[in-house]
Amino acid sequence: MAGALVSFRDVALGYDGTPILEGLTLDVRPGECLALLGPNGCGKSTILKAMAGIVPPIRGTVHRSIDGQPVRFGYVPQQETLDLVFPMTAAEVVELGTYGQLSPGRRAGGAERERALRCLEQVGAADLRGRLFHALSGGQKQRVLVARALAAEPDVLLLDEPLSGIDAPTAEAILTLLGRLNREQELTILLVTHHLGAVREVVREAIWVHAGKLLRGLASAMLAPEHVRTMIEEDFLS
Amino acid sequence: MSLLLEILSPDFLLRNALYGGLIIGFVAPLVGWYLVGRRMVFLGVALPQVSTAGVAGAFFWHALFHEHELHEGDFWLALMGSTVFTLIAILGLALWESRSRGRAEGRTGVLYAFAGALSLLLVASDRIAEIGILGLLKGEIIAIPTGELLVLAVGYAAILVALWLFKKDLLLVSADRDLALSFGKNVLAWDLVLYLIIGTTISLGVLLVGPLVMFGFLIVPPLIAGRVTTGIRRLPLAASVVGGLTAFVGFAVSYKLDWPMGPTDVALVCVVLALAAAAQTIPGLLRRA
Repeated sequence: MAGALVSFRDVALGYDGTPILEGLTLDVRPGECLALLGPNGCGKSTILKAMAGIVPPIRGTVHRSIDGQPVRFGYVPQQETLDLVFPMTAAEVVELGTYGQLSPGRRAGGAERERALRCLEQVGAADLRGRLFHALSGGQKQRVLVARALAAEPDVLLLDEPLSGIDAPTAEAILTLLGRLNREQELTILLVTHHLGAVREVVREAIWVHAGKLLRGLASAMLAPEHVRTMIEEDFLS
Repeated sequence: MSLLLEILSPDFLLRNALYGGLIIGFVAPLVGWYLVGRRMVFLGVALPQVSTAGVAGAFFWHALFHEHELHEGDFWLALMGSTVFTLIAILGLALWESRSRGRAEGRTGVLYAFAGALSLLLVASDRIAEIGILGLLKGEIIAIPTGELLVLAVGYAAILVALWLFKKDLLLVSADRDLALSFGKNVLAWDLVLYLIIGTTISLGVLLVGPLVMFGFLIVPPLIAGRVTTGIRRLPLAASVVGGLTAFVGFAVSYKLDWPMGPTDVALVCVVLALAAAAQTIPGLLRRA
């Protein structure tokens, strides 16, 4: 646990008091770039949400601290689950990401708007700033959501299926950006994905959610075609 | 022009009704915007009805246990009934929603039906009719005493301050709860703040303009604004301007034609919505034709 940004200790996760995962123990350390893998419904997104504090653990403890301070998360949800009814522009959606650092009663101002624009530029989506978020394409929305997560100036970036529903060039651009953020800014990244081949070059380690347990190893081994085939077969049979 | 000069004159007999309508017209859409944005429009129908039931309940209670007729204190009694019923209903619904996976629309619908039935039953009581509060329950906009107008102005000023101060937090928990949780925000506490704002807006407004007008000004101006502008900065302001202007024009029309003011306001704001929708749709249809 020492030096970890996020630590799970014997954690049970689930909904309405019914656990779907039990006995989870996991450390995420500064600068790591991890992929969280597994079949549909195995609890990958729940683990991500528990890290961010969105889903409370049923049992066990989740520690989130850096030098005694709370860890700041940049959270990118699954696009399909995000239902932004408010008619917000892309810039306003990104500005939401700055609100975490403003105390109650303090209003967002010019500094927050500027930071939102910088983050949009960082993901190559500055031209979308005035467009309505719900009118954007899947790939454009994904860029905006990554920008929103970056606007939180996070210690840990959590991405839930960031490559789903987007075209190959956009997926490549997002992965390149994530790789650069991890290398150059030492940003800690954990992403849930089914695109095993695409993330192979970006992540250093991978965690399989397999039969309710977390199996962690180097990406080169965990994402090797033989290992992937074994995991998929065992998951399918179980 | 002479009509405008007459209405705007400081000596105008019905000036309090005009001021009351304008205050509600400008402020209610700023609160209603959250109801529309959170897909809680039906709550905007149900809560004014609950508030009305609260007024009826307060008077029914007074009629049961007190012999003397209501006069000076009736506004405060009504305000207490309206506020207590509305806050209990909205907090109960919030608590229920946080612990249940059932359909919120169903619960709100049952609440609306029950509150409507309760209001009618209480008003039907002989004792209530004796003390003559039917006008208050209908939301008599014509006769608003200065004291009541002052209470409305102070209450709505406090609501404006709360909306201005807490806009960021209210917007965050309304637009994306998961993001708010990932920032460590106390989502339940901010929901309660929003519900208190909504409850206070409705309980105060219903006393002066009745449930129909309250619902109309909460919901329809934000829908109109959504058709003419976008963005979380411009849209609430546009909704507020639309609400205030229609309240003013509605008052002038009802005064000129001797129509009841509440239904005139609501009909007018709905006509504006229809025009905004047509202005958006017709050019596209013409291009395709």
